[in-house]
Amino acid sequence: MAVRPAAIAVPAGARPHSGVWTILARFVRKKPLGAAGGVLMALMVLTAIFADVLQTHDPIATNAAYTLGSPNLEHWLGTDHLGRDIYSRIVHGARVSLVVGVASTLLGSVLGGIIGLLSGYIGGKTDLITQRILDILQGLPLLVLALVMSAALGPSVQNVVIAISIPIIPRAARVIRSSVLSIREMQYVEAARSLGVQHLRVAFRHILPNTIGPFIVLCTAQLGSAILVEATLSYLGLGVPEPYPSWGRMLSVSAAEYAQKAPHLVLFPGIAISLAVFGSNLLGDALRDTLDPRLRGS
Amino acid sequence: MTRSRALPLLGVLILVFSTLTLATPAQTQTPKSGRTLNIMLREDLSQGFAIHESSTISTVFPAAPCFNNLVQFDPAKPIESTDTIVGDLAEKWSWQDNYRNLVFFLRKNVKWHDGKPFSSKDVKFTFDMLREGPDAPAKLRINPRKDWYANVEAVEAPDPNTVVFRLKRAQPSLLSMLASGYTPIYAAHIPPANYRTTCVGTGPFKVKEWRKGEYLDYAKNPDYFIKGRPYLDGLHYVVIVERGTRTAALQAGQLDVAFPGETTKAAAEQLKKAVPKLVVTPVGTAVTDNIIMNSKKPPFDNPKVRLAVSYAIDRKGLIQAVHQGAGVPGAAMAPRPYGVWGMADKDLLALPGYGQPADMKAKAKKLLAESGVAQPIRVEMVTRAIAVYVDMASFVINELKQVGIDATLKQIETAQWHAMATRGDYQIGANLTGLGVDDPDANLYENFACGSPRNYSFYCDEHVTKMIDQQSQELDPKRRLGIVVTIQKKLEEDAARPVLDHRIDYFTFWPHVKGLVPHHNIYNFARMQDVWSDK
Amino acid sequence: MKTYIVQRLLIALLTLLGMSMVIFVLLRLAPGDIVDILFATAGYISPSEKQAIMKELGIDRPYVIQYLDWLHQIVTGDLGKSYRYDLPAWEVIRPLVPVTLELAALSMVFAVLLGLPAGVVSAVRQDTTLDYLLRVFSLAGLAMPSFWLGMVIILGLVTWLAWIPPLTYVSPTKDLKLHAIQFLLPALAVGYRSSALIMRITRSSLLEVMREDYIRTAWAKGQTGRIVIWRHALKNALLPVVTVIGIEFAFLIGGLVVTETVFNLPGVARFLVQAILWRDYPVVQNLVMFTAIVVILSNLIVDMLYGVLDPRVRYGG
Repeated sequence: MAVRPAAIAVPAGARPHSGVWTILARFVRKKPLGAAGGVLMALMVLTAIFADVLQTHDPIATNAAYTLGSPNLEHWLGTDHLGRDIYSRIVHGARVSLVVGVASTLLGSVLGGIIGLLSGYIGGKTDLITQRILDILQGLPLLVLALVMSAALGPSVQNVVIAISIPIIPRAARVIRSSVLSIREMQYVEAARSLGVQHLRVAFRHILPNTIGPFIVLCTAQLGSAILVEATLSYLGLGVPEPYPSWGRMLSVSAAEYAQKAPHLVLFPGIAISLAVFGSNLLGDALRDTLDPRLRGS
Repeated sequence: MTRSRALPLLGVLILVFSTLTLATPAQTQTPKSGRTLNIMLREDLSQGFAIHESSTISTVFPAAPCFNNLVQFDPAKPIESTDTIVGDLAEKWSWQDNYRNLVFFLRKNVKWHDGKPFSSKDVKFTFDMLREGPDAPAKLRINPRKDWYANVEAVEAPDPNTVVFRLKRAQPSLLSMLASGYTPIYAAHIPPANYRTTCVGTGPFKVKEWRKGEYLDYAKNPDYFIKGRPYLDGLHYVVIVERGTRTAALQAGQLDVAFPGETTKAAAEQLKKAVPKLVVTPVGTAVTDNIIMNSKKPPFDNPKVRLAVSYAIDRKGLIQAVHQGAGVPGAAMAPRPYGVWGMADKDLLALPGYGQPADMKAKAKKLLAESGVAQPIRVEMVTRAIAVYVDMASFVINELKQVGIDATLKQIETAQWHAMATRGDYQIGANLTGLGVDDPDANLYENFACGSPRNYSFYCDEHVTKMIDQQSQELDPKRRLGIVVTIQKKLEEDAARPVLDHRIDYFTFWPHVKGLVPHHNIYNFARMQDVWSDK
Repeated sequence: MKTYIVQRLLIALLTLLGMSMVIFVLLRLAPGDIVDILFATAGYISPSEKQAIMKELGIDRPYVIQYLDWLHQIVTGDLGKSYRYDLPAWEVIRPLVPVTLELAALSMVFAVLLGLPAGVVSAVRQDTTLDYLLRVFSLAGLAMPSFWLGMVIILGLVTWLAWIPPLTYVSPTKDLKLHAIQFLLPALAVGYRSSALIMRITRSSLLEVMREDYIRTAWAKGQTGRIVIWRHALKNALLPVVTVIGIEFAFLIGGLVVTETVFNLPGVARFLVQAILWRDYPVVQNLVMFTAIVVILSNLIVDMLYGVLDPRVRYGG
């Protein structure tokens, strides 16, 4: 069977001098779902950045006069049991979800990527032992791991990021490692080695750039999962603490209790989480299809 | 009819109507025997049925049907006081020697659930164990209420149906403490540790099955010492951790009775709207929101700073914002009609935090300026990592910000809270305190006496401690009330542990549940002896 | 083949040992222990009483001793005593296991029943409206938090039917219909999620295989489409699918925790969370080891299946 060359991070058929807009337009045409995902993600990033401008009320200001209020002209998405404006809290929640999601994904993916790169390149006993250690990390249920870490480290944004990043490390390591394994056998790598190029140089100069593709795909795939884990942890009361509004925590305790009287308490934060994860998954899929067709099966 | 005439008439009509609906229902119907009730539990029993080794409603409420006390607060009356104490295992009792000896005459023909006969031996066993007397026959692993019996010199059982409590000095409160849901009688022939897994009591219901984390089943005790009771065939306590599912279950009729203290006003309104025939009763809970401040560490070692905190927090505002109105202002003891030892409204209004919010905050700022502490004051507020605490803490932080105290919130997990508070590893905290019985002795010693381990503020005023001892021995009820009110006033003026409000529960159950009268104390109406179902 | 199996088994055992160490250490990293929680329920703390209880429970001994003691217990089949309930851990966990297993199995069945056909159809009708619709539908399943889906289901039931599923376990022998409903709803909530993954894998795997030369050859030779798909493509496409099913089964535990909580099913996952909050070490350790064994076992089985299905692995590896 023919060995396919490593994919290069340029969409198929792109002309060398295409502007950014042309590439984007092509992307939208070829992968409409991915484009939709991209739009959702962009929306989320913009909301997170401009939360202070987009809000209509202070997200932590309580208002005893209008608790569990239905959506109206003043409170676009209604208010919660303490009278806090839900729209403003969702807008700020984007910031939390995005920051925690991106930070933990990057942290986990980078750490895992480095481990996978070294493990795959060095091979032999190191690889075997590293694999077993990663197996151990991966064998523990993701939520349980995050739960225990959260309890161990205490509630704070940094600790939640660390807790969520830990289960990502073995997955990232695995993906990068398999990528490295296949590239390692490439002829140009053999050529470089035979020319006497240092191992580290080979690793970082030749192999690393070719793992960027799978790395990006991995990140976008894990981002959705990280956002979900943060939401679940917050729902269980172990995630980001007050006063940072978190979509997951908005769903815990009071939301379900008052769901009958104020269904918007339950619906809107959940929709927000779903849209964010949905967008990141769509985008991730499309990126994967474009960047590395080989990985479609993984 | 002119408006000036209509209003008073309307007021009278409302008064009459509310009196009729809130009055204890007389037995207008004949109780029916049979049926099982489904009752809500917010979590599984903490230490099984070992009420003496725990202080949580999660143990007391589901374990109570298994036991009896010596005396109890009349199940049919919502308000509890020495006037409403009726017999349980004791038929008659009498104070002697100017409240220095308490004699109980016990019922005859009472049997433990395993068939063995009950006698004064069991009472002596229980209280010798509780007070950790020198010849104590058994030791409790954890003994939270040892101090309730600090004044008991000896417990004697001269014959199988008589028990005598000999006190070191007069203490009228002892009777109330014995009536609390926290004071059931254990069997002398059962090792106390067994109560953590099973229950052998004398109560109206016998434990049938306890599926850990899932449910607790009781069956009627056919040999109960009151003929014809209990009415119900059984009780089925269901553990539901998820709040939404709990409310949904009550609404859908899968549960007949809510868990005491867990129904907020908004939830009750929602339930009532969905099912108008549900019976909702606002009751006091004997739980207060309060602020603990470490008076051994800056900046709260400065009494002016502490007082400023108390002035800054708008009590009425908190009740509205955090509980949507489900609370009443009060000092250390619950105000009427929820308790009998509280301060009157007019006296409360003079206390910090009860006046106009703007005036109060201005006063707070002035106090801070006078205190000599550098502004703005930065502190860390701790609270337990439970939503109900966090909401309250968030409100308080907002209030403090307006007078120049910048507080950040740190949430402490349950496992670490008491250790942290006892050690004094904190500056200021948003706290909840539950009282097992509306009695000054049960409250004041534990929380405000010099050197008490649960005096988390490390408040120590010799004069107040003397007054607490004084009221404990005062036999004239009116004079005693006077001293207790003076103590409360002083505690608030010293900002020892400013009380923010007394919580109200909107206790809810289905209309076919009869004979269940919630008390203004979540711990004391759980026996289910006189409850019956009209379905 | 035999060396392959032995090799895998040894590795599996070593991995399990490593896991036990990680679990043991991780649990004790969380501040506070059972005694602190016990005192918390009593509303105070007393250092002298705490010492006594720690001694009684055996948690005042050095960690290494406690760890070895635990290993010894596992080997002799003793699962220790629950700190919270003062009963043998197995006695407390035993009634919960069938509930979780049944829920997990039903969820997987749903997942496969929904995901596999969807994946096939989507692959065969690639880039058509149907394909897009199916992909959006399955991606929605991946995007929705499972606890939220559960909450919405219960909310819908209460609002429109004034009814919720039973709150305590209904045995199938007692009332089969009620039992079925009790498990079907949460199984759907969890299964929807897993079905999305299976659908995606099936689709991409099938697409990949359909591009292969030998498939194209079969087309060219004139074999009718459907036969080609079923006989050649699907068989080879199933390999990664089986892998994913195996992995998903183990990861279900995470989704089961919140689903069991929302639907109030007395399962192992829900109990695990409570046990962690209570620092009930024996229960948590044994439960996590149990899930670890399930994971390792399913990985092992998948590896075996690979060995059987893919000849390249059998002779070499």
